[in-house]
Amino acid sequence: MASLIVARTFPVVQRTVKQLLINDPLKRHSQTRIIQYIIPTYTQHRFYAEKKVFDRTKPHCNVGTIGHVDHGKTTLTAAITKVLSDKKLADVKRYQDIDNAPEEKARGITINVAHIEYQTESRHYGHTDCPGHADYIKNMITGAAQMDGAILVVAATDGVMPQTREHLLLAKQIGVEHLVVFINKVDAADKEMVELVEMEIRELLTQMGFDGDKVPIVTGSALCALEGKNPDIGAESVLKLLQEVDSYIPTPIRELDKPFLLPVEHVYSIPGRGTVVTGRLERGVLKKGNDCEFVGFSKVLKSTVTGVEMFHQILEEAQAGDQVGALVRGVKRDDIKRGMVMAKPGTVKSYDHVESQVYILSKEEGGRMKPFTSFIQLQMFCRTWDCAIQVTVPDKEMVMPGEDSKLVLKLMRPMVLEQGQRFTLRDGSQTLGTGVITKTLPLLTEMERLQLVEGKKAREKRETQAQK
Amino acid sequence: MMSLKVLTRFFHNQTPCLAAEKSLLATLRKKTGYTFTNCKKALEMHNNDLKQAEEWLKQQAQSLGWAKATKLEGRQTSQGLIALTVDKQNAALVEVNCETDFVARNKEFHKMVHEAAVSCLNFTQQQPESNISVTRFFMNDTQLKTLPTQDGKSLADHLALMIGTVGENASLRRALGVKAHKDVHLSGYVHPSGSGSSVSLGKIGAIVALKQLASKEIDLDKVGKELCQHIVGMNPKKIGTLSDKPAKDKEEETCLIHQEFLLDDNVTVKEILDEHEIDIVDFKRFECGENTSEVADQPLEYVETCQ
Repeated sequence: MASLIVARTFPVVQRTVKQLLINDPLKRHSQTRIIQYIIPTYTQHRFYAEKKVFDRTKPHCNVGTIGHVDHGKTTLTAAITKVLSDKKLADVKRYQDIDNAPEEKARGITINVAHIEYQTESRHYGHTDCPGHADYIKNMITGAAQMDGAILVVAATDGVMPQTREHLLLAKQIGVEHLVVFINKVDAADKEMVELVEMEIRELLTQMGFDGDKVPIVTGSALCALEGKNPDIGAESVLKLLQEVDSYIPTPIRELDKPFLLPVEHVYSIPGRGTVVTGRLERGVLKKGNDCEFVGFSKVLKSTVTGVEMFHQILEEAQAGDQVGALVRGVKRDDIKRGMVMAKPGTVKSYDHVESQVYILSKEEGGRMKPFTSFIQLQMFCRTWDCAIQVTVPDKEMVMPGEDSKLVLKLMRPMVLEQGQRFTLRDGSQTLGTGVITKTLPLLTEMERLQLVEGKKAREKRETQAQK
Repeated sequence: MMSLKVLTRFFHNQTPCLAAEKSLLATLRKKTGYTFTNCKKALEMHNNDLKQAEEWLKQQAQSLGWAKATKLEGRQTSQGLIALTVDKQNAALVEVNCETDFVARNKEFHKMVHEAAVSCLNFTQQQPESNISVTRFFMNDTQLKTLPTQDGKSLADHLALMIGTVGENASLRRALGVKAHKDVHLSGYVHPSGSGSSVSLGKIGAIVALKQLASKEIDLDKVGKELCQHIVGMNPKKIGTLSDKPAKDKEEETCLIHQEFLLDDNVTVKEILDEHEIDIVDFKRFECGENTSEVADQPLEYVETCQ
């Protein structure tokens, strides 16, 4: 009723105001003119919090610096931004800005990382600089900062330090395959020392399973670049380093360019048309006529997409990120279930035994208080499915909250999983941790599957019997 | 003409000489592992005599380590390791800190921590026996530094050497030596469970002293280790007595005996103790990087006793 009155009175008021204004049009006109002369045209500028629009013209790549604390990682990062800012490709970040990175408390997980962006002629970069091993691992697991490649910084004055081995181990562990080495502080060393350091690095890299002979090594001085001295070992070496990074570290494949994959959210049966599955296209491009495969719950079904729709409209092609409905041929509604994955045939597989790297939330982050041991039963959530799992802790006896750990997960039934897939572990109503799959293992045997559901007593009995 | 000849000869003589120098530097570096700058300096000082240079480096290492240690002093050390060693009636728990957790994973650092734990254990063993069931010896950083090691140097020297090689600040934070009476059993556990050697390294460690109430055949080592694991995991504040009332919220229980047992949440620690007819005399938990007030300025002779 009230809205009706408003609707009725509003046009009336409007008309009255209009008439009042029009009554003396000439006078009003001259008034505005005068005002216009007095006050020049004023457009509002908001200098504060004015956000620049990200310009996506170059492919993006994530890199990070690793190395000893005193070898100049942060100085190099600052030098890169300095050198590139001269070319208008980056904003200058001072050493202090990078070094005192605030602890981000995004999404409830504390992450200690400095995140910097810059671009070269050919690519746009996200650059991470974080201090510790545990920080890197946490970043990798939570996906806060991924690295497609890394820059190893070694000072020519010191050479390879004992813990450089640990740095490289870490790089391996978080899946960095492409490294570029920067030999820093050459202004304080002579030529033969630099050569020897280079030899030593190549040797170590080969030892650690990197392609030691091919890894590009650039020599220079980040400090000179930062202070604008000796351009041949300063700014130019930094540019050369960036060139090597450009060419040696490959651009990651975009989600859009991968074979299509759609986790099924709902299945509908539409009379006269057939079965429709809906969900968010995770990657790739989906078109009418594509062959597809439904995988999950120990089933594999082949089918063809006969139509793609979005918002009840026919879509030529759906791209990664679109919330779509796909009409599929020859499968019944009851054959498909939420949690299955529709993908390009042969691109995904089901697994029920995987190795993963998991970060267990501390109590402050909303996790549980007690540590857990092997054989704990948890619920694993991933894409649109969830499944009961049994956890084995391979290299420790227990896992404390706030720690990262390698875990072997055994699923009650095979589900679509792949390396690099992220998931969440929950125990009842509590989130325990989040993880990423590092390796898929062979399917469980019938025997192992039966052992999954046996109780503690039965397991202990079996173990003592096995010992005898 | 003549000068040109001389000049060429000069070049010819010089090149192989340079190469030799270079390989010398490389061998010296490989052999000793000291920084390039120091290796070069050593060679220059001893006219490229490898042997002399090496000896000089070894001599210098200590002072260089000290120089580095003084230079890096004051930089925050928040990472590190806990070392635990148990030898029958004596046990030692040591915390050594470093700057980054990369170093905490390094062998050089492990060696140093190992050394510290062994020295601390030796110190505990040398203390006179007493009739008290458990005697604790707390040591802070200054006290730890003066402890002698197996090779006669002090722990501080070892620390400086390690700082010299690793190039990061490190500090001996605190230590606890435990001496137990004959009828008390000592067990320890360190998380994450480390190497199989006599000293185990990790982030959190605990020592527990157990007493058998009745003579019964039980695996004290196993029970002790499990109890230590529980203490590491659940962080109890005190042992507690039966007069202490269990907390309302099980999660917030700080009395050891009322806590749910970590490895089996159907029973409490008290029930485990009753089942095996044992009693916990004392326990101590060390967590790497935790805030403590107990390691204040105490004289080395300060002895804390239990019962």
